[in-house]
Amino acid sequence: MLNSILNVFFKASLGTLPGRRLSAALGLCAAIGAGLAGGTLRGQDPARAAADDFQQTVLPVLSKNCFSCHSDRVHSGGLSLEVFRDDPALIAQKHEVWTKVLDKVNAGTMPPRPLAPLTPEEAAAITGWIARLGGGAEAGSPVSTGTADPGRVTARRLNRAEYNNTIRDLLGVTVRPADEFPVDDSGYGFDNIGDVLSLSPMLMEKYMSAARTVSRAAVFGEPYPEKPTLIVRLMPKKIQDDMQATGSVTPFSARGALYTSFHAPVDGEYEFRFRYQNFRGGEPVIQTDKGATLIAPVAPIARGPRPPITDEDRAARYERSCAAAPAEPLVFAIDGTTVYTYAVRGTTDCEYSRGESIARVKLMAGDHALRSSFPGMANMADVRTNFNPDGRRKLYMEYMDVLGPFNPSTAPPAGFKKIFMCGEPDNYSAPCARQIVENLATRAYRRPATVKEVDRLMGLVNEVRRRDTFEEAIRMAVQAVLMSPNFLFRIERDPNHGATGANVYAINDYELASRLSYFLWSSMPDDELFQAAAQKRLREPGALDAQVKRMLADPKAETLATNFGEQWLNLRLMDRKKPDAAKFPLVDDELLDAMRQETRLFLNAVVREDRSILDFIDGRFTYVNGPLARFYGIPGVDGEQFKRVDLDGEHRSGIVTQGSVLSISSYATRTSPVIRGKWVLENLLGAAPPPPPDDIPALEEKDLGTAASMRQRLEQHRADPACSACHSSMDPIGFGLENYDAAGAWRAKDGNFDVDSSGILPDGRSFSGAKGLKQILLSQSHAFTQNFTEKLLTYALGRGLERSDRGLVGQISSNVAQHDYRFSSLVTSIVNSPAFQMRSASSGDGVTP
Amino acid sequence: MTQISRRAALRGLGATITLPFLDAMYPAFAAQAVKKTLSATRMAFLYVPNGIVMEHWTPAGALGATPLENLPRISSALAPYRSDLLMLSGLTSNGGRALGDGPGDHGRAGAAYLTGVHPKKTYGKDIKTGVSMDQVAARQLEGKTRFASLELGCEEGIQGGNCDNGYSCAYSNSLSWRTENTPNPPEIRPRAVFERMFGAADDEKDPAKRKRLQSYQKSILDVVLDDAQTLKSALGGSDRRKLDEYMFAIRDIEKRIQGAEKSNETRVPVSAPSASIPTDFAEHSKLMMDLLALAFQTDMTRVITVLMGIEQSPRNYPEIGITEGHHGLTHHQGDKEKIEKVARINEYHIKQFTYLLDKLKATPDGDGTLLDHSMIVYGSALADGNAHQHNNLPTVLAGRANGSLHPGRHIRYADETPMANLYLSMLDRMGVPVDQLGDSNGRLEGLADL
Repeated sequence: MLNSILNVFFKASLGTLPGRRLSAALGLCAAIGAGLAGGTLRGQDPARAAADDFQQTVLPVLSKNCFSCHSDRVHSGGLSLEVFRDDPALIAQKHEVWTKVLDKVNAGTMPPRPLAPLTPEEAAAITGWIARLGGGAEAGSPVSTGTADPGRVTARRLNRAEYNNTIRDLLGVTVRPADEFPVDDSGYGFDNIGDVLSLSPMLMEKYMSAARTVSRAAVFGEPYPEKPTLIVRLMPKKIQDDMQATGSVTPFSARGALYTSFHAPVDGEYEFRFRYQNFRGGEPVIQTDKGATLIAPVAPIARGPRPPITDEDRAARYERSCAAAPAEPLVFAIDGTTVYTYAVRGTTDCEYSRGESIARVKLMAGDHALRSSFPGMANMADVRTNFNPDGRRKLYMEYMDVLGPFNPSTAPPAGFKKIFMCGEPDNYSAPCARQIVENLATRAYRRPATVKEVDRLMGLVNEVRRRDTFEEAIRMAVQAVLMSPNFLFRIERDPNHGATGANVYAINDYELASRLSYFLWSSMPDDELFQAAAQKRLREPGALDAQVKRMLADPKAETLATNFGEQWLNLRLMDRKKPDAAKFPLVDDELLDAMRQETRLFLNAVVREDRSILDFIDGRFTYVNGPLARFYGIPGVDGEQFKRVDLDGEHRSGIVTQGSVLSISSYATRTSPVIRGKWVLENLLGAAPPPPPDDIPALEEKDLGTAASMRQRLEQHRADPACSACHSSMDPIGFGLENYDAAGAWRAKDGNFDVDSSGILPDGRSFSGAKGLKQILLSQSHAFTQNFTEKLLTYALGRGLERSDRGLVGQISSNVAQHDYRFSSLVTSIVNSPAFQMRSASSGDGVTP
Repeated sequence: MTQISRRAALRGLGATITLPFLDAMYPAFAAQAVKKTLSATRMAFLYVPNGIVMEHWTPAGALGATPLENLPRISSALAPYRSDLLMLSGLTSNGGRALGDGPGDHGRAGAAYLTGVHPKKTYGKDIKTGVSMDQVAARQLEGKTRFASLELGCEEGIQGGNCDNGYSCAYSNSLSWRTENTPNPPEIRPRAVFERMFGAADDEKDPAKRKRLQSYQKSILDVVLDDAQTLKSALGGSDRRKLDEYMFAIRDIEKRIQGAEKSNETRVPVSAPSASIPTDFAEHSKLMMDLLALAFQTDMTRVITVLMGIEQSPRNYPEIGITEGHHGLTHHQGDKEKIEKVARINEYHIKQFTYLLDKLKATPDGDGTLLDHSMIVYGSALADGNAHQHNNLPTVLAGRANGSLHPGRHIRYADETPMANLYLSMLDRMGVPVDQLGDSNGRLEGLADL
């Protein structure tokens, strides 16, 4: 009996119960277990029983404490609880309402201050009845994997990331045509949800154009200029807010670096010609918070006729200027390997007429990371040292031209053999042709191609072959395959329809392999996984777990960080939002990119090292390079490379206090405790507050920091009960993070005011600072785990979660907790669940076999 | 004016403007038809987000039609074109209002503007509004022009589920809706629009080979359509709907290829815009306006929508000295400084519209100019952005629509006249009349009155 109460309770409280509330609620459940037994033993219709129960135990409490606002007439927040008084049928239907009521009563946010809170007995009456309500509707149905509804994922078209990765793995090409596709439709927080992803005629044209480009690249290689030419001129922005830069613009670096990705169309030699600018030798300056100021006044220029300048004078001046500033190394590296260095000497006069640096390098076709920078500057205490009073940087890369290709290779492209696996140029037999096409279609469709499909493609191949070469014919076949719905969509077929009984079936091994690879790699199955599916070995005991282990260790699993992680944490906002350049002069594009990289490396570490997911809350390590370490105040890290550091948890730990998260949860010019509080509630605890009402006046920003502190300005949230209902849970979290400014740096003062980072949660618990906040979050490990499970499960399945998934989410969460919260235990739980391995058959669409 | 490239034209005028966005790498290459006898009616919508400062927009005047004069500050930019356009006041997009659904005015406004339908409040898979009026026309005009319609834009859509209080970002990312569930997102890269119209730069140079490749394209489309048919018969439920979307899109391409083959073309040299998107709003929108005019001039399409900014656009305009985000400023709560900034943004936007008017007036078309044969609507689905006002929307209807419009007037309609009534009147003039669209309750009177 208690077991079914527990099961029932999981169902009634979808993902929003923190651990503390759970134990309290369980206690209540046990206490009213008798009531449950009483209700059903009476042999009444469950709905009727619930209604009677409601009238007796709950209605008086609601009437006394809630109806003043939540009546039919007043209707606060759009909710009337009065409707339930008279209509018992409604009670069982409006499950979502009661879920929210349960949340608010357990958290103590309702009734809102300054109204009197519920007494413990009143709260128990409500929460107990809700628990029984869940039981009444579904009593007697144990949660078992056999009968749970696995849901039905709609055919999913490949999104942008999946398209690029799939053609890379399928054909060995390095072009990324999906970067030009329109932004994918997003649902439930992710861009891989089948029902939400649409296919407009414009996108279809892009697929067609991409198919042309990719097929040509796969068979013949990418086109490149016949003679070596200037391929691109790369120019970094000159200021953080630069709107005038044209050509190929690279991010702004206060330290003068130029960094970007370059795509080489063919194996060959490429020449890099670049100029840096040297404006050292400006007047000596000191840096203050208000900017740079001169130390000493400049001597007046002598008037009168000047003596002629001799060659010796000129030479002497040159020597003086070369000696006037220390040599600063310039390093140009490709894919992390240095290909050119130079020591920049002296001031402007020394280096002015030096001209371009040139480096010629052999490169393979594909993407290469270019970086030309002054690595010594990574260790600058204050990056403004690199600025002159007129705002120009002293040393910076001006541009880099890429010329080529020289001596391009005429060999077939990298993926050629993946396609032409038999025969030789000018010598392809008919069976070989068919073999090529069948292999191509099978790999592209992620399951064996049918005879009809191959026949159709062979028809096309033969048509082309009449007037063009065999390679051209296969190129057309590749094009057709890339446009086929069997490639663009991940299809799962209902087995022999019309078959009686089975309305839930197991997806076949090929479909399972695809689900697995797109989940962990955002790409198609590799040969090993595909073979396992072909030999029907995937469902052997331990086989799936072994694959998961192998796949998580593969570098391709980095997509879990970039695709899942960045969407979960909403970090794609960094593409649109930056801290205001005037207010945060130390924060340039390069530092923001470093912050993003820090979070990616952190997420990857959790995956690769199979760490506890609770590390997201308080993991005592991170990755920083010299500039980022200095921004955070972390000692002991120098240079441009990222290093792993251990943290003591005082100021930084986990992800909440990483710069990336702190900056996207702020405005450009100031912090917002409300946004940060909402971010934590929504992304970590799965307890998003409802939207604000219309017509809220904007925050009075004028004297923020001088006449009033942030806390004082937000007082109204607590004073007004209409506001405090939601803000009492958001604002304290944000206050706890007020020591981090809008760019993510630590601060003890906000303007004239010392930061007060204490907070009191609606249930009365208080904490101090981010460290205390994280302790509170750790105490809600149940809610965190449940929420993280939901998010990863949504991403893995490619559909929104339904009520029928609640039991599964609960089971997976507790399984993860039992395995020390290890990330891999979450993945294997998901992969072994019925929702991942099975599918509900379509209902009544009259499909013909 | 003969068909000369933009660069040559500017050189001829003695302009010293550099052209940062013409990429020297790509040779000027062929391909565009200039049909000699052309006077079919075209229509375009230019949409600006977050409303307009109405006190600086609407001239004084009673109900009904009055001469267009004494234009306030923002609309005064239209004064030189007063004989070419109608200003309409009093039109309402009721679908943008809450109607019991709570907050979310921006998401609703965008989705209701061209559809006249109150969108469903969701940010999941079940987005639903109505078919937009441009697509109603496009379906009927399919086959007559190379593209049934073109969707252009100047701001990238937001990727994310919930953009406005529970309304999906899809509602504000697109102006055009092919079906009630399928948005038609705009293309914001000028180069991509150009390549759609004129082909990609690395296309085959050899004309014989090009013809062969084109015929192979058709065979490829046949193959994949067969694939789709086979697949569809084996699937159920929502999967079939996805296949329907796919097949519609393939057939759309097929029709376009057939249309392109049928036209006999004379060559006109044009230069491709640079591959990067200009960060300067004026530069970006001018490129889009150039492409719009070119598309009309060559009759590649007769239906274009330009989403100059998405609803809730946070874009700032440093080139005119405004560093705060647009949306934030429009919630000024009466702050005079903020209102001033919004007014300046509105002025900046309308300058791009007048740029287009100049272009259309200067382009000969049949027996007149492009503007004579077009209907260009400039407006927003919000009037006062601070109050999220959905009635009395700022709307300008430029052009003569082949003589069926009588411009030069300000027509003030009775409060709550549906915007959709304007659409019915426009569809009449496009030769594709319908009885009802969204919340329309009749045609808009007085547009042609003399």
